[in-house]
Amino acid sequence: MKIKKRWLVLFLAPSVILFMLIYAAPLIMVFASSLTDWRLMSPGIHFTGFANYIRLFKDPDFYMALKNTLIWILIHCIAHVSLGVFLALILYKRPWGWKAIRTVYMVPNIISNAAIGMIFVNVFNPRFGVLNSLIRLLGFGDINKNWLMDAATAFPSVTMTWFLFAGYTTIIVLAQALSIDESMLEAARVDGASNFQIDRLIMLPLLKKIIGTTMVMAASYMLQMFDLIYVTTNGGPGKMTTNLPLLLYGVYRSEYNYAYANTIGVCIIVVGLFSMTLINRSFKVNEADY
Amino acid sequence: MRTFKHLKTVEKLGFVAKYVFLLGCVCTALFPLVWVFMSSFKTNAEILSNGISLPSRFSFDGYTQALKISPILQYFFNSVVITSITTVVNVFFLAMAAYIFARYQFRGKNILYLLLSLSLVIPMTALLHPVYMTINALHLANKKSGLVLVYTALNLPMSLLILRGTFQSIPRSMEEAAVMDGAGFVRVFFQIMLPMAKSGLASAGVLTFLNCWNEFTFALVLTSSQSARTLPLSLSYFTSQFSFNYTAMFAAIVIAIIPSIVVFALFQEQIVRSLTAGAIKE
Repeated sequence: MKIKKRWLVLFLAPSVILFMLIYAAPLIMVFASSLTDWRLMSPGIHFTGFANYIRLFKDPDFYMALKNTLIWILIHCIAHVSLGVFLALILYKRPWGWKAIRTVYMVPNIISNAAIGMIFVNVFNPRFGVLNSLIRLLGFGDINKNWLMDAATAFPSVTMTWFLFAGYTTIIVLAQALSIDESMLEAARVDGASNFQIDRLIMLPLLKKIIGTTMVMAASYMLQMFDLIYVTTNGGPGKMTTNLPLLLYGVYRSEYNYAYANTIGVCIIVVGLFSMTLINRSFKVNEADY
Repeated sequence: MRTFKHLKTVEKLGFVAKYVFLLGCVCTALFPLVWVFMSSFKTNAEILSNGISLPSRFSFDGYTQALKISPILQYFFNSVVITSITTVVNVFFLAMAAYIFARYQFRGKNILYLLLSLSLVIPMTALLHPVYMTINALHLANKKSGLVLVYTALNLPMSLLILRGTFQSIPRSMEEAAVMDGAGFVRVFFQIMLPMAKSGLASAGVLTFLNCWNEFTFALVLTSSQSARTLPLSLSYFTSQFSFNYTAMFAAIVIAIIPSIVVFALFQEQIVRSLTAGAIKE
């Protein structure tokens, strides 16, 4: 079909301008400024080569943040996604109440992370939190543990604010599982395959791609996790629960060291590309599946 | 039909284990919410003496206090304005672009599409400072319009993907018939294509709405006063605002999450369909 050039330009322009402003220009800025000494109070901006990267590789906070980010990505991609897939494999057989269970399990994913964070600040509260109250009720003594601020429990406690809520993974895998041709499963059943065999030998291979997709989503979500940590521990105690976005925010908002903050930004992008490629390779998720 | 009684022991165990697991999932999702809801009716003394006791009486004192202490309604209003404008603008602009990509050929089309969809893999939190600089340069920092601009862009790749797919699935004969009747390009788009792409527009709209409504990081960086701050941000101030008035704090959390739950309850089928639309090809 033919189209007048002005319509073509007019229809594409808003999206292209948005892309330039919010993606392209900032992306160039983040790479370029990581090679400078740009700060809030600096008299000028000078090219400093890889000085920021050298500082990065000597910064113990950076290693802590990188380690936490990678561990959380790994936990999310493996354990969290497995939980969602496991639930989807139960629900696609349409047991009693499956729709209601799917809906209810989805609720924590619909509420904002800030709210979930505030809820868990209270759940883990040393005085009246659910956890300590339950422990007291069960008779394990008068416990006053501050779960989110205690060095021994902060990391697992923060992890619990997102780990169990796999509703998003569940509905995506479930939607794919429900779209699989029933007759194929029926044939296997007639041949005497048990439910477990059907799940393991037929369903999982058929769901491999979509599981890969949910893993990419999980990795990207964890790479950018900010709100839940900010609201609950703000990266503490010390830097124990800091990840890369929180480190970036800290450098940007308390040190006002823009160049160094953007160096951490480049690092987030690199970790992102690396983990996406890895997952895509191992699950053969092609681009058309996103 | 076989009933529970006729199952073998192993199958019975499996059946029980399955429902224990399902019950566990439901409790995980609901228990924290129910606890917060329950606590919002307890007095401060009741909360402090036993965290998991039931409220002795139902009073809405916490709610009236919460609304007095925290400007939660102002934040709520900001969120409604920002989210609705973003959703409309995003879906409209991206529908225009997606239609061109779905139907017309032009030089550089593939590269342009690749570039736009590549934005899906850029971790946006890496760009906090440059995005702030851009918004500041446009004099939109600490304004609702600044957040609208950023949020419209954040949902660009997903909406483009969904809407292009929707337009591609509409048969070409529809437009061709209209063109034969003398309808111009703009009329074809507005009167034929947009109405036919309703499902895609709804999916892209719901996704954009949810993402904006819950967005935190950019709201934190791009706003500095009450006039532009959104509901998720207001939650992060609760600890200091309510200091030791726990009843009011629990009530404030309930007020902040009720809209999401009501909307989800009303439109759950559409929301579930939208959330899977980007990930699954039918």
